[in-house]
Amino acid sequence: MPGRPTIETLYDEHAEALFAFLLNLTRHEADTRDLLQDLFIKLAREPHRLDGVREPRAFLLRLAHNAAIDLIRRRSARDRTRDRLTEQAGNPFASTADPDENLFRQHLAEALGELPPDQRAVVHLKLWEGLTFEAIAALLDIPLNTAASRYRYGLDKLRHQLRPLYEEIT
Amino acid sequence: MNEFEQRLRQTPLRSLPPEWRQDILAAAQPPTSVPARSQPTELWWTRLLWPYPRAWAGLAAAWVVILGLHLATREPAETTTAARAEATPGPEYRAQLQQQQQMLAELLGPAEPREAARSRSTPGSPHTWRQTTLTA
Repeated sequence: MPGRPTIETLYDEHAEALFAFLLNLTRHEADTRDLLQDLFIKLAREPHRLDGVREPRAFLLRLAHNAAIDLIRRRSARDRTRDRLTEQAGNPFASTADPDENLFRQHLAEALGELPPDQRAVVHLKLWEGLTFEAIAALLDIPLNTAASRYRYGLDKLRHQLRPLYEEIT
Repeated sequence: MNEFEQRLRQTPLRSLPPEWRQDILAAAQPPTSVPARSQPTELWWTRLLWPYPRAWAGLAAAWVVILGLHLATREPAETTTAARAEATPGPEYRAQLQQQQQMLAELLGPAEPREAARSRSTPGSPHTWRQTTLTA
């Protein structure tokens, strides 16, 4: 039976994915950092949480999702205004030297930001984590059909928003 | 997965700032300042009181109030000892009681043997009663 992974190992293996997921949900870099730090503090203090977990990545993404949703619910209207002002800092996509590609990524970030957090979470997990709908449903504790429909709705909205730009650059 | 989905999927996400690693892992290190000796006591207390510490504190406060009320309403020690002293008969009372018993014995006459008194007072058994009626 393998021993418990160290906190450093967990960080090196999963922090990148957790960061991207949290940033996509919160759209705020400082909040993302706080949530990520809280998550690893919790894991360091309660290492038994990972005992018997077969998929640490899915388990950690679930913890991150719950923490992010809690944060989003706590946010006041004033915080939302602040988020709009610092939207650039919360862009979940890497910047590039190609101006067209940069524009597309910026529009994609905005379109994703307009999705409800539930849909955004599913779209992120499906597209950038490559999870199946079964895995997403288990991770978010929702029915399989709900996971699939959230993805379809989310994707349709993105397609509608990005169509002009997407057709132009392809 | 269609072309649009593939396009989105290929869009790279931002990387985790490398400088965060040290800070986050430092913050996640368990505290080492807690002395080893005090830990068992703390654990004992936390285990005992952990689920509902406020409820335990409330219960303790209620008991303190009950004890206070009990002490406040209890009679002082001097009063109770005096009352007890009054309740127990003194030598004068005993002498008086003995005198009364003697007077009562004199009024009732000299004491008879118990068995004779009993045979006189109790009616005879059916068998003896039949003998007496036959002789009569």
